[in-house]
Amino acid sequence: MADSKIENSSKREFLQFSGKAGLSTMVATAAGVNLGLVDLVHAQPGKKVTPFRFAVISDSHLYSFKDHKFDTQLMDAIEQVNNLPVKPDFVLYGGDIAQDGTMDQLEKGKKILSNIKSKMVIIPGEHDWYVDMGTGWNGLYGANNPESGQRKGRKEYWSFDHKGVHFVGLNNILVDDFWTAQKMTGVERQTHMSMLEGPWGGLWGIHAEQLAWLKKDLAKQSTDTPIVLFSHAPLWDYYPRWGFGTSDGAEIRAMLARFENTFSFHGHVHQTIYNKIGNMSSVGAMSTSWPWPYPDVELAFPQSRQYRADPGNEADGMGSYYADISPAGINVQHQPFADSLTPWMKNGFKA
Amino acid sequence: MKTTFTSRALTALGAVGLTAAFSLGSVQAREPFTQAELDKQQKALWAVSKEGYDLWHGSKPSMSTNGLGCGNCHPDGAAANPQTFPKFIPAFNRVVTFREMINWCIENPQAGKALDVTGPEMLAMEAYAFQLHRGKPIEPGLASRQTSPVRVEYGKGFPSKPSMIGKDTRE
Repeated sequence: MADSKIENSSKREFLQFSGKAGLSTMVATAAGVNLGLVDLVHAQPGKKVTPFRFAVISDSHLYSFKDHKFDTQLMDAIEQVNNLPVKPDFVLYGGDIAQDGTMDQLEKGKKILSNIKSKMVIIPGEHDWYVDMGTGWNGLYGANNPESGQRKGRKEYWSFDHKGVHFVGLNNILVDDFWTAQKMTGVERQTHMSMLEGPWGGLWGIHAEQLAWLKKDLAKQSTDTPIVLFSHAPLWDYYPRWGFGTSDGAEIRAMLARFENTFSFHGHVHQTIYNKIGNMSSVGAMSTSWPWPYPDVELAFPQSRQYRADPGNEADGMGSYYADISPAGINVQHQPFADSLTPWMKNGFKA
Repeated sequence: MKTTFTSRALTALGAVGLTAAFSLGSVQAREPFTQAELDKQQKALWAVSKEGYDLWHGSKPSMSTNGLGCGNCHPDGAAANPQTFPKFIPAFNRVVTFREMINWCIENPQAGKALDVTGPEMLAMEAYAFQLHRGKPIEPGLASRQTSPVRVEYGKGFPSKPSMIGKDTRE
């Protein structure tokens, strides 16, 4: 049921996009153009997949304060995942475990995340990175991630194969150097990057080293292998001003074009969102810290916007999700702390 | 003071009428503001808005005891359009002003000390939020209807250096 709804809606949205001359937003226009390329035949992960589940927790933004409410909220999400009747084979942590990227916050995060009963893989967010350009993060969390041909000491991007699916984790929060010329300290650099609308960073991406690694990594995969990418920020141009995008997203999607089934799961946006660009389905995660408003962009799938019935409800708009992969497809189930899902998403949806 | 201003304004209006009656070529009561005057006004407005931007991003430690600032949840003033107030807010169970809403956020999610509703800092917060929503329709409404932020083009905005005040590294 959800399927046909998605398809019909997306076609309708595309017609709306193409009918609006002079639509000023580059983002929505780009999405509209890209939708034109999509025939939206739903992806089938293929027969060689053995069914399994993975879960996603993201964007906890832990502060240094003792007994901060965000510590508890992260634990709530971990409890959600630990209490699933069908255990996930692994949990992805989607980045931004810390707020200010300091060691004490990264260490606190590691301690709280150790309560996850499943195996965990992790990617960095911009809040984890810019005090020391990932040294502390790699030291604490790199060991969680697989060796997969990265440069030595760079385990913030990785890949592995699991039950017929190829998983890739990317570090897509890398920006060009704006700090040297301004003689900024690491903490000042992080403070600036921690601000969603910070003017200096510009849109981030995975940059040359990872692009080359990704190309090599994907070259080994056959076209019928489902590819699942994890990244902190979306791999499509949603709202670049807030880092809702990846500068080299187009190059990444071009590499994926030859595959039959590709999926992107990302954090950073602190909201439920779904999109389809080219042959890539894309699912965003709620945070465990606070929800973000939807930017002024027309979405291809507007019904994926969560309800914010009462902005005063501090449990509203946050949570975790899990995804069930089978030969029939990927089913995503968001688990909000409070009842904020649209009816379309309440009983899960096919990505 | 007020009376003086009003009487001056009336005199000026009278002058406009007279001038209009006797001279079709000139309808000005006085010379338009000089560029220097306009610059001064713009500078004053910008300075207040800029102070609001800093406050929005944590420059006053008393506004938060848990590290959260307005900008955490309201980047670019998103979902904080002052032109949609007065608005019904469930947390109050009544219609409230924008300034009351600002103080609710300071006292609840940020667990901080409310601002003086008539003080210069509240003015600055309001000025910043209004600056960001120039051109948006004035539309008093309901909290359940999320307001869209102004679409800000990528650019410099308010390019002040991080103040480092109010950060979670104080202890």
